[in-house]
Amino acid sequence: MKKPSWTLWLVTTLLMLTIAGPAAAKDLQIGALYPRSGSLALLGEESWRGAEIARLEANKKGGVGGDQVVFVNADGHDVAAARAEAERLIEQSKVGLILGSYASSRSMAATEVAARKNAVYFELGAIANSITERGYQTVYRTCATAFNFSKSQSKFIAEWLAPQLNKKPSEVKVSIAHEDSDYGTSVADSFKNAAKEFGIQVVSVEPYAANTSDLSPVIFRLKKAAPDIVIAVSYAQDAILLSRQAAELKLGIPLFGTGGGHSLKSFQEALGDKVEGVLNVDFTQYEVSSAFTPGLKEFVALYRETFKEDPKSGHSLANYMGTKALFDILAKTKGSVEADAFRKAALAMDVPEGATSTGWGVKFGENGQNQRANPFIMQWRNGKLMTVWPKAAALMDPVLPK
Amino acid sequence: MSAKRLQLLGGVLFAAIIAVPAFVESRFILHMVTLIFFYIAMTSAWNIPVFGGKMSLGHAAFFGLGGYTGAILYVKFGVSPWIGAAAGVAVSLLGGVVMTLPLLRLRGPFFTLASIAFAEVLRMIAIDWRSLTNGSVGLNIPFKPGWANLTFQSGKPFYFLSLILAVAVVFVAYRLRHSALGFHLRASASNDEAAQALGVDTRRAHFIALLWSSGLTGLIGVFYVFFIYVVEPSTMFSLTLFSLQPALNGIIGGIGTIWGPVIGAIVMTPFGEYLRFYLGTIQQGLNYVVYGVVLILTVNFIPGGIVSLVRPKRSNRSDGSGSSSDTKEAR
Amino acid sequence: MELIIQVLVSGLLIGGVYALISVGLNLIFGVVRIINFAHGEVLMLAMYAAFWLNKLFGMDPYVSALLVLPALFLFGVLLQRVIVQPIQEASANMQIFATVALSLILQNLALIFWKGDFRTVQTSYAMSTLEVMNIIISVPRLIAFLVALASILLLYGFLKHTFLGKALRAIVEDNTVARLMGIKVDRLYLLAFGLGAAFTALGGILLIPFSSVYPMVGGPFTLIAFIVVVLGGLGSMSGTFLGGLFIGVVESFGGTYVSPALKEAIYFGIFILVLLVRPQGLFGKGKGTEEIGLK
Repeated sequence: MKKPSWTLWLVTTLLMLTIAGPAAAKDLQIGALYPRSGSLALLGEESWRGAEIARLEANKKGGVGGDQVVFVNADGHDVAAARAEAERLIEQSKVGLILGSYASSRSMAATEVAARKNAVYFELGAIANSITERGYQTVYRTCATAFNFSKSQSKFIAEWLAPQLNKKPSEVKVSIAHEDSDYGTSVADSFKNAAKEFGIQVVSVEPYAANTSDLSPVIFRLKKAAPDIVIAVSYAQDAILLSRQAAELKLGIPLFGTGGGHSLKSFQEALGDKVEGVLNVDFTQYEVSSAFTPGLKEFVALYRETFKEDPKSGHSLANYMGTKALFDILAKTKGSVEADAFRKAALAMDVPEGATSTGWGVKFGENGQNQRANPFIMQWRNGKLMTVWPKAAALMDPVLPK
Repeated sequence: MSAKRLQLLGGVLFAAIIAVPAFVESRFILHMVTLIFFYIAMTSAWNIPVFGGKMSLGHAAFFGLGGYTGAILYVKFGVSPWIGAAAGVAVSLLGGVVMTLPLLRLRGPFFTLASIAFAEVLRMIAIDWRSLTNGSVGLNIPFKPGWANLTFQSGKPFYFLSLILAVAVVFVAYRLRHSALGFHLRASASNDEAAQALGVDTRRAHFIALLWSSGLTGLIGVFYVFFIYVVEPSTMFSLTLFSLQPALNGIIGGIGTIWGPVIGAIVMTPFGEYLRFYLGTIQQGLNYVVYGVVLILTVNFIPGGIVSLVRPKRSNRSDGSGSSSDTKEAR
Repeated sequence: MELIIQVLVSGLLIGGVYALISVGLNLIFGVVRIINFAHGEVLMLAMYAAFWLNKLFGMDPYVSALLVLPALFLFGVLLQRVIVQPIQEASANMQIFATVALSLILQNLALIFWKGDFRTVQTSYAMSTLEVMNIIISVPRLIAFLVALASILLLYGFLKHTFLGKALRAIVEDNTVARLMGIKVDRLYLLAFGLGAAFTALGGILLIPFSSVYPMVGGPFTLIAFIVVVLGGLGSMSGTFLGGLFIGVVESFGGTYVSPALKEAIYFGIFILVLLVRPQGLFGKGKGTEEIGLK
């Protein structure tokens, strides 16, 4: 009874270890590294779906440079795993290019591996500024950075909100409430910098742990700080909790979300009519001027067809758009991922704003960062997350939140 | 298996290990073996207090203290990682004293619980002390290859560094186990009061064992940070990665023994990585389900770990594993 | 002053739920003497059950308790019988690992079956509040507190005045003697585990109107429950109740006046301090704690 049980699984382990063979040689293999288990599984999976749809679509049209694209999927559920997986993708699966990765901390570790091995890393969803601040020649990012988020927010506060409140931008007081993982922290830091540029005062910063079941301390502290608006940087469950407790404890100060949990349908469902008027800045979502986002409608249709449900958030769209940009570059290099040829093709790419499915343009700077990814401001209106600013992408004008 | 044959086998294995980088081209295999060495070192260091029946689930605390010390000194103050390693050991020893002195009054499950709390407090402090640790965003080891910076283009230096670490820690554990201290610890594990009655200062023995354990774990932490390039709170103070995993390796291999942790790390590290590659992407979470089932089966059917199968029961079973001795402690 | 009272009230309300979940753990810990690291996962399952009953059949979460509690009682019995009983005689370390493995399995099965989404129940009363002398009280949190209080009192009465309850207490006091006295210890283990799971499940039911459920929701609650049990003293229901309130209040004040990010660190710190200064727990009787590892 005892002996077979362990020998059995030892043998199976060894067996399983040996059957890892490479895929057919004719395909263009790309590593796809996302957190797909653990606490970030939800949006990690959603992000992967965007890339997957772009892949299926390209393959249907005959592939990229004549080759079918195959993803070698990897689960970067924590930092150590992301690092190990990047290593495995490049060394064992022999991919010369990895895309990913939704979570900034995972991306930092994985891009580090890729850069040291001169493999191309295409970041489609992680927003920490530092990813493209290290000057690595093979790391590119199509999506907006945390600083882009903060800049959009600050600009909106200075140009639209301040006049509405009959104040100068320098008289507007802002508090920041953020969850204290890398996402919340780096966005909060970016906001402090961006606010400085526009002369907006940051009167208090309240970090908290996202897995808590009581955020009333944050509400009490915000009441004491008495700002005009609160910048909230939250994951899914804490966004709901913060808004609910703000309503319960009669905070009376509008919340301005920063992507993450504030864009999710579950946020709207959980808050009911209390969601009305909540502002948010994020990757492009689905209620947006269709003239400014060609291809978005088709993406949604493809998503429904492939996964039999509606997209959960704009993460899939951002990853889809980025993957398509990647395929455009690969088409030019005829599938080559050799670092110099790829870099030449990437830097030559020049797509104006309003010409992709997210409305973002594509123009990589020397640091590999897309200079034309500016997040839009959205507002929950009648249960939908409507794009309200800037005008070119907006479906309606913003209103002053209660 | 006789001692002689065991030695021979060990010698052959060791030669093979040394030769691996010469033949293996795949950096991935090197990476995997390096990870195994790290986990052998970690598990063996964790295992030292277990000789005396003290099972910590808070060793991530020492790991993180060491890693953070090395990284902060290097990234913020430009101090060589080699000096940083010494400093890392010093800081984790200090952490060891702070944690150990008071917690030694606790036994069994309460010691285990308090050790978890200790590591959690450090994790939250690392998140909050932004000016020192850069908070949750963490610190990145810049890429400046060279031995002076403990940063390499090739995977081979870390293969050997981690091998040396693993051998050194196992050696220390071996020496400790067969020293007077080791006997005191094992005496305390089987019956603390009796050992005290015989004049053994068991608290002192536990204290010294935990200090060895914390210092070594801190040292491993420093090297690990330079291996993985990034230091951030949820990784360095991770309950699952560096508190639970060494303990799981120990259980699977056989806790309280010398070779149990080694075997446990050799079996479980590739197993865990494998499950993640091939099950984690098929169905998210499935890898952990398999992991959990394997664990429960092990605990149920081979509580002495793999070593208990290789080395059939001997009369001297004060190893703390599955013996009736520390059952008493729990009930 | 008003703020201080408001902070106190908030802390007490959440503390009531902590107390309830901890009472469940205390029963299991005290009677079966096992550190159940999968405790939070029982809570998670109860929350999911309430969520799905609401989503699929429109059942009010409080009503769903009628189905969820018996179901999780049985689940607890099953856990004891299948997972814990075979290792009852193994070392404490082995038991810890079996339950850690169990927690890993349950969390990830939840991830497989229900995905990583954060699920929230919509009710008409989710955000309703009372206002008493300028102090705002959330209705679902108040309900949670009151039900927790009532059910702990009920358990207290059960343990004090019924034969089964007395037998359970006898096991807490001295397992061996209880066995010698002819108490069917193994069966009572089943009862204790089942009851413990049911109380924890009730905690989940009370949380779901104002808290989201997701596969990893249980982890922090497991740690909180352990801390409360140690603070309150093993086998002491009143101690656990006070311990739960204490943690809730510490969390609330620490979060408001020190930093919201450090509130967990503060009560972990207090936990370690208490273990050092008064290892039998703040409110514990100190009896029977010796043999399980506290001196």
